[in-house]
Amino acid sequence: ADIVLRSSDTHPDGYPTVEAVKYLGELVKERSNGRIEIEVFHSAQLGQEKDTIEQTQFGVIDMNRVSLGPFNNIIEETQVPSLPYIFRSVDHMHKVMDGPIGQEILDAFSDHDLVGLVFYDAGSRSFYNRQKPVENMADLSGMKFRVMQSDLFVDMVNALGANATPMPYGEVYSSIQTGVIDGAENNWPSFESSGHFEVAGYYTLDEHLIVPEVLVMSKKSWDKLSAEDQALIRQAAKDSVPHMRKLWAEREAASEAKVREAGVKIVSDIDKTPFIEAMKPVYEKYVTSDKLKDLVARIQATE
Amino acid sequence: MELLILFGTFTTLLLIGTPVAFCLGVSSFATIVYIGLPPVVVFQRLNSGVSVFALMAIPFFIYAGELMVRGDIARRLVALAGALVGHLRGGLGQVNITASVLFGGISGSAAADASAIGGLMIPQMKARGYDVDYGVNVTVVSSIIALMLPPSHNMIIYSISAGGRISIADLFTAGILPGLLLALSLMFAAWYVAKKRNYPIDPFQGWGMVGHLLINATPGILLIAIIFGGVRSGIFTASESSCIAVVYALFITAVAYRTMHWQNFVLATTAAVRTTAMVLLVIGCAASFGWLLAYLRVPATLVAFMQDISQNPLLVLLLINVILLILGTFMDMSPLIVITTPIFLPVAQAFGVDPVHFGVILILNLGIGLCTPPVGAVLFVGCAVGRITVWDAVRTIWPFYFAAFATLMLVTYVPSLSLWLPSLFH
Amino acid sequence: MQGTMRDIARITGTMGRIALWLSGTGLVLMTAFISVQVFYRYVLNDSQSWTEPASVMLMGWFIFLGAAVGIREGYHLSFDVLLYVLPLKVKLVLHSISDAVVIAFGGGMVWFGAELAEKTAGNKLPSLGISGAFDFLPLVGGGILIVLFSLERLARRAAGLPTARFGETELED
Ligand code: NA
Ligand code: NA
Repeated sequence: ADIVLRSSDTHPDGYPTVEAVKYLGELVKERSNGRIEIEVFHSAQLGQEKDTIEQTQFGVIDMNRVSLGPFNNIIEETQVPSLPYIFRSVDHMHKVMDGPIGQEILDAFSDHDLVGLVFYDAGSRSFYNRQKPVENMADLSGMKFRVMQSDLFVDMVNALGANATPMPYGEVYSSIQTGVIDGAENNWPSFESSGHFEVAGYYTLDEHLIVPEVLVMSKKSWDKLSAEDQALIRQAAKDSVPHMRKLWAEREAASEAKVREAGVKIVSDIDKTPFIEAMKPVYEKYVTSDKLKDLVARIQATE
Repeated sequence: MELLILFGTFTTLLLIGTPVAFCLGVSSFATIVYIGLPPVVVFQRLNSGVSVFALMAIPFFIYAGELMVRGDIARRLVALAGALVGHLRGGLGQVNITASVLFGGISGSAAADASAIGGLMIPQMKARGYDVDYGVNVTVVSSIIALMLPPSHNMIIYSISAGGRISIADLFTAGILPGLLLALSLMFAAWYVAKKRNYPIDPFQGWGMVGHLLINATPGILLIAIIFGGVRSGIFTASESSCIAVVYALFITAVAYRTMHWQNFVLATTAAVRTTAMVLLVIGCAASFGWLLAYLRVPATLVAFMQDISQNPLLVLLLINVILLILGTFMDMSPLIVITTPIFLPVAQAFGVDPVHFGVILILNLGIGLCTPPVGAVLFVGCAVGRITVWDAVRTIWPFYFAAFATLMLVTYVPSLSLWLPSLFH
Repeated sequence: MQGTMRDIARITGTMGRIALWLSGTGLVLMTAFISVQVFYRYVLNDSQSWTEPASVMLMGWFIFLGAAVGIREGYHLSFDVLLYVLPLKVKLVLHSISDAVVIAFGGGMVWFGAELAEKTAGNKLPSLGISGAFDFLPLVGGGILIVLFSLERLARRAAGLPTARFGETELED
């Protein structure tokens, strides 16, 4: 191949995002008659997300599949889909992010040496814990939940009356097991693959975060491509999304089945209204500029 | 070509005596420039390679070790070990090994173990008619025990090098039986050599003495219980336990033993900073090196290569062991963990080896490398303490190497030695 | 020449001691921060989110400062087998090449560390609320000292004075 694009992913081989970028590589190779190839470096071989984002900005690697979290303090617009309960459902999220609002957020990457290509699914994140079935906000009170090291997520968990405890992901399993923390929050596939369901027997589907992940390209690598190749990659990236969503749905169903089989108690019908009410101060703190207020309003107005 | 530049520059610099950290960093730098990538990535990897929360256990455990050595905790442990096993054949050799077991339970540094216990034991052994080489040999090889028994910051380095998804608590627990097995086989070797050289037997000092020394050493031994109990009962995490060890060591030496004075404290702190900075700079530079290995697809190529050679996991494990032993002869432990984990762990896993089990194999294997010339930090420490040349020590060390190697083989081929104990906690 | 070098050694010696003291203070502060983290989480049930990133940043400072002092005091591990068999003159030349290589790397730490700091200056670090540039300043600070102390080694050798090396000479202050 004339052009080899190196793409990073922190998820392990076989994970839907990894497979989606591999599939994208097949499309690109086929449509360019073998001129362009994509090599996927999975399992964080090239570094954690924060590091690989910098590497992509510097043009050291060409492509990167990352969560929106690490961008929250860099690109203002990415905070909006990261807001708790901003999307009513995964369908609502698809509608918003597939449309003009999603495109607007992707465009915002270009001010930071990046080209936003497409959004991939990451399901919805909910709370799990070792103590008891959480059915309302009172149940959350005082419980320690591990969150990612992000101001927004810390404030979210604290606003729900729980105790946000940032901690490296690798220590979560034994910390739940021994009781350093009561639980954490994640989507079905991660709840399952991390083995956390073995130590946290209660999963409450409050779906507080429905944050898509993003596939970006380095502006430096992008500018080296001809306009045709750029269009080719953009289109192939778009075409990889339905495939990704299909893989994701399969993976989610398989993980859910495994977790349910292990006897984890699932609380699925909760009244989310008080949870959403409790987010008012969080929205006030983070949705400050007119641009963000406008985006939030338009997302909420999207049917 | 890229690989030739990477390894060529590394080897050349290593041979002309450039510090290992800079050999790693500069060879990565040269290779990046050759590939035509922005060199900034070398320094980004260096910086993020040391900016890892779990790495904090290294300065803390080293610091705790320094405080314990300077605050008289180590000497009391040695005295207790003497009363317990001093009357066996080759008594002081057995004491040395038992002291390493006790010390290993509170420290994870083989070099600290060798300098603390060697510093106390080797002069005593000399005075009582033991040959110096025997004292140095026992000291050096038994200090590997400190790496195997929890706490072990090298296990944490391994967990991080493996992507942070291997439970540190499991790794700590997995090292216990192999560590004790190593102690047993070394005691056997010590007994064998002592018998051949006709070393004296000390009389048993009586249970009263044992009790008295036990009380004296209890605060030190309690640290084991506090660390293990604290982690298992959810008060703190495995990596936080390292900080608790520092606080506890400070408390015991300053308040209970009253041995920690301002000057001792400053000496312990600066010594810990020196050692930590040296070790962590190597780890940071190795992160750049490891990034290049991944970028150049070395691990993937190696897995394919190994699968071509053999489909037999037993053979592949043996091959990995031999490669690690050879590498360990030439390089130090922490950079080797960081460099070889991303390469060999996927290979081992492709052949069905549990990552926790592999971690134990890796640490024990590289621990042996610490005791072998030409580059063996612990061997150097032992020789420096005993004031003999490396050659004089190594000439008679074979029974101990053999005992360690036999343990390595047992640990490699009997996975339950490592995995049974952690499985009890699941 | 040797007299001037001894004066310089007094100045760099003081710098090294200050760097070492700063590093030691960093280690003590780290101990305090993580103790606070455990105490607040376990005893007060009120987890703090600043302790972890603050400690990691302190660690960066004391590693790079401590590593720079290690250049001056010669406590970095190296592989000396080949050096044992070489004549002293050759050995000194090789030591100087090593020092030059270290200077180049230290220069890289300064130059590219500054580039990284500049790129990330606009980001805000989670939980700490300070500029992302702080992540990379230890790299720059450590790099400056590494270059300085390595230059001193070259100058000392040129003046016929000993330089410290792991397992060999100790430096007088
Ligand atoms: Na240990
Ligand atoms: Na060695």
